[in-house]
Amino acid sequence: MKIEDVVCPFCGCLCDDLVVQVEGNRVVNVENGCTLANEKFMGDHRLETPIRRSGKKWERISYDEAIAETAGILLDADRPLLYGWSGTYGEAQTIGVHLAEVLGAVIDNTSTVCHGPSIMAIQEVGHPGCTLGQIKNRADVVIYWAANPIEAHPRHMSRYTTFADGFFVKNAFRERKVIVVDVRETDSSQIADEFVKVNPGGDYAILSALRAIVRGKRDIIPPNVEGVSREQLFRVAEICMAAKFGAIFFGVGLTMASGKYKNIRNAIELTEELNRHTKFTISPMRGHWNVYGSNEVFTWITGYPYAVDFARGIAFYNPGETTSVDILRRGECDACLVVASDPGAHFPRACAEHLARIPTIQIDPHVNATTHLSQIQIPVAVTGIDAEGTAYRMDGVPLRTRKLFQGSHPDDLEVLEKIYAIVREAKG
Amino acid sequence: MRVILKTRPREKPRIPIEAEEIIPQNFLRKNDMKVFEGNKERTLEDLFFVTIEGPAVSPDQVEVVLTGNTGMIKRVGEYMNAGRIIIEGDIGMHCGNFMSAGEIIIRGNADAWLGREMRGGRILCEGNASHYCAAGYRGEKRGMRGGIMEVKGNAGDFTAEYLSGGDVIIHGNCGDLPGVEMRGGTLVIGGECARPCGNMTGGTCMVFGKAQRVLPTFRSNGSQDMDYAGKRYRMNLFRGDVANRGKGTLMIRA
Repeated sequence: MKIEDVVCPFCGCLCDDLVVQVEGNRVVNVENGCTLANEKFMGDHRLETPIRRSGKKWERISYDEAIAETAGILLDADRPLLYGWSGTYGEAQTIGVHLAEVLGAVIDNTSTVCHGPSIMAIQEVGHPGCTLGQIKNRADVVIYWAANPIEAHPRHMSRYTTFADGFFVKNAFRERKVIVVDVRETDSSQIADEFVKVNPGGDYAILSALRAIVRGKRDIIPPNVEGVSREQLFRVAEICMAAKFGAIFFGVGLTMASGKYKNIRNAIELTEELNRHTKFTISPMRGHWNVYGSNEVFTWITGYPYAVDFARGIAFYNPGETTSVDILRRGECDACLVVASDPGAHFPRACAEHLARIPTIQIDPHVNATTHLSQIQIPVAVTGIDAEGTAYRMDGVPLRTRKLFQGSHPDDLEVLEKIYAIVREAKG
Repeated sequence: MRVILKTRPREKPRIPIEAEEIIPQNFLRKNDMKVFEGNKERTLEDLFFVTIEGPAVSPDQVEVVLTGNTGMIKRVGEYMNAGRIIIEGDIGMHCGNFMSAGEIIIRGNADAWLGREMRGGRILCEGNASHYCAAGYRGEKRGMRGGIMEVKGNAGDFTAEYLSGGDVIIHGNCGDLPGVEMRGGTLVIGGECARPCGNMTGGTCMVFGKAQRVLPTFRSNGSQDMDYAGKRYRMNLFRGDVANRGKGTLMIRA
């Protein structure tokens, strides 16, 4: 059976034009997908049943047993951490937030290791953003700053920027100027009209210099700023100011470089400065699939987009203190529930070591690095393949994903609702 | 009155304690002080051996002394408005948040957000202070607004972020971006730092050590002599940050 207009469940692009061929309860072919999408749909590393660590071995247990034990561990904890959430859908994330509130837990999503600093900057100075559709149809200058879409978001350029013809940009490849700013040459920089190679950690200074140039303070700029010549900075500023509609996309190369959210704040303030001359927007290249959705869900329930601490019964937010990497590094939490993420692969070693020391439970369809740190793993359906739900694209547009076949696993929502029911009953 | 709080041994010593009730004025009128250990509410006596010596009729006559394993205790001295707190060892995050008067002396190191948005009073940290010393809360447009913050050792990144008033004196080194978004007050850095005063719109920052990666958006404005720690130094003057309105003053040792 061929299913059209399928939403991809891998990166923040949420490409919604895939054609997927299904035989029984297996995907056998994907059309229009990138390599990442093909692997996601046709990968076969699914865990069949819940497992529990028993000495040096794993033992299979029932779903009811795994769920009851998970609830018991979370109820016993004095500082539980609920982490992940970007690989699942909004309805399951909602239950996660309610569970955190009842438990007095910290709930955090993968923004903590990607675009959390972008959100902090947006909270300081706002967000002059727009949808990807606007950019596709209008932008004649596109800047990729510390991002490499060809490898990380393979269809971004073909669907929205460089190779995508738009309503007002009829011949995109020739009419759009592409500027890439990065610390090294990448596949994306190869196709740029202008490649700005910055010294590592030099982005903040470059952004400050561009702001000063756009403000008419050219005379202050020294001959070389962090490896970039003054002439090139003048040229980039002129391209931006001459644009009819410009769009900046930035990646984790900017959010996770030294200065972190101050880099993003500076980029936003450059965008605001450019808006005195023309129309310019700025958008983060969100990587984890529904991480934007987790920010949305957390915010509409708690007021904060990630790193929310319910220990005192009310929501408290302070990245650096309530973010999961910091909590784990300091050895604060005494139990952890990981949902739809793989901190074992992405977190620093000290954090992974603490996860291995405390009771860690993982709810995830696949065996991954976190499995090796966990006491219990509960396999679930994959959202967008054998579970449906709402996810948000990187520009904040919600899309409904589809269930392509009826699988044998419960989905995240079913498992979390059962845990929540036990916890709620125990708490009264 | 002298109140001595000695920490009791805990089963899970890494779980943070939130103890904003530990301020001098509360020991005059409260006898049921609560603190949080993780997500569990405890009495002060559950976590501390409490000894009270002598009388007091006003908060400024109260001295609170914390001893033992105090490095995971957060929010000590929050909203303090009189008296004195002496911490014999390290202290956790948010010590002296929003304090308006009184004195806090830390014999060891202080964790992040020391003196966050303080309005007055004095904090002396004899060891090192972590990130965001004398800074603002997330999303807040003004950080420390008054009082004196003195750190004998080093301070971390984003020291005095959003500084709006008062004096911050770091005798050792600072990390990255001290005085970022600064809009008033005075920041003195005795040692080294990197990228001082990004996006500053007002106030004065003096760096008596080496400033690395000074931003290109500061305009040179001559030099002058300054005294610091009993010595006279020649300082280069800059005005900036011209990426913004550029009305701050940055002085760096010549």
